Amino acid sequence: MIGLIFLAAAIAMMTALAGYRGVSIGLFGVSAAVAVLWLDRYMTEPLKLSF
Amino acid sequence: MGPLVRLGNAAGTAAIATILMIAFGLQFGLEEPPCPLCNLQRVAFVLCGFGFLLNLRFGVQPLHYGLTLLGALFGLVASGFQALQYIAPGSAGHGAPVLGLHLYTWSLILFFAVIACVAALMVFSGRPEHHSNDHQSALRFRGVYRLAAYLLIAATLANAANSFLLCGPVECSDNPKGYWISKYLPS
Repeated sequence: MIGLIFLAAAIAMMTALAGYRGVSIGLFGVSAAVAVLWLDRYMTEPLKLSF
Repeated sequence: MGPLVRLGNAAGTAAIATILMIAFGLQFGLEEPPCPLCNLQRVAFVLCGFGFLLNLRFGVQPLHYGLTLLGALFGLVASGFQALQYIAPGSAGHGAPVLGLHLYTWSLILFFAVIACVAALMVFSGRPEHHSNDHQSALRFRGVYRLAAYLLIAATLANAANSFLLCGPVECSDNPKGYWISKYLPS
C-alpha cells in the first residue's frame, strides 16, 4: 500500500509538470489521506511515557 | 526577492530528493530494510517536496506552502510517535544510529527544519505570484528548477518500487527482515 502512496504522489508530480494543477492537487489529497489512514493503522502500540 | 525565493524552493525540492537518496543509501549500506513508520516518514518528505515543486511550476503561492506544511505535520506525527516509542531510559531504539542519532530522530529534526524553511520563504515571498497564463509560468520552469523537480520525481518513483519490492501490494511487516519479492525469486 505504501508503494501505491508513493506512486500516486509521483503521478501527482508528473501531472503538475504537465500543467494540470487541479488534478495534481487532487491526487496529492488522495495520497495524503491514504497516508494518514495507513499511519493510523500502525500507531497502535501504547506509548510508555511514565518511567 | 522573487528569484531568490524561487531558488529557495528549488533548493528545498533538491534537498528533499537528497534526503530520500541518503535514506536509500543507508538502507542498503546498513542492510536495514525500512519499517512501515520509516516508510511513512519518507512519504511525508515526498509530500513536503510536492509543495516546493508546485511553487517551481506554477509560481509561489500560499496554497503550495500550505501543502508542504501539511506534509511536514504528517511527518512530525510519524517520526514523533516513533521517537516517543523508544524514549524510555534503557530502550535500545530501532535500527542503527547515524551520527549519534536514530533515523527517526533525524527525521523529526528535518521536519522542524522544513517548517522553519517554509516560514522563512513565506516571509521573503511578499505578494503571491499569479501568472496571467500557464504559458508564462511554464516558460520560467527550466534549468535548475526543472532538474530539481525531476530529481524529486525520480526519488519518489524509486521509493515506490522499493516499497513494492519490500512489502508487496498490501501490508508490510512491523520489522521487515527481507524483501517480499525474494519469496518469489529462485534461491
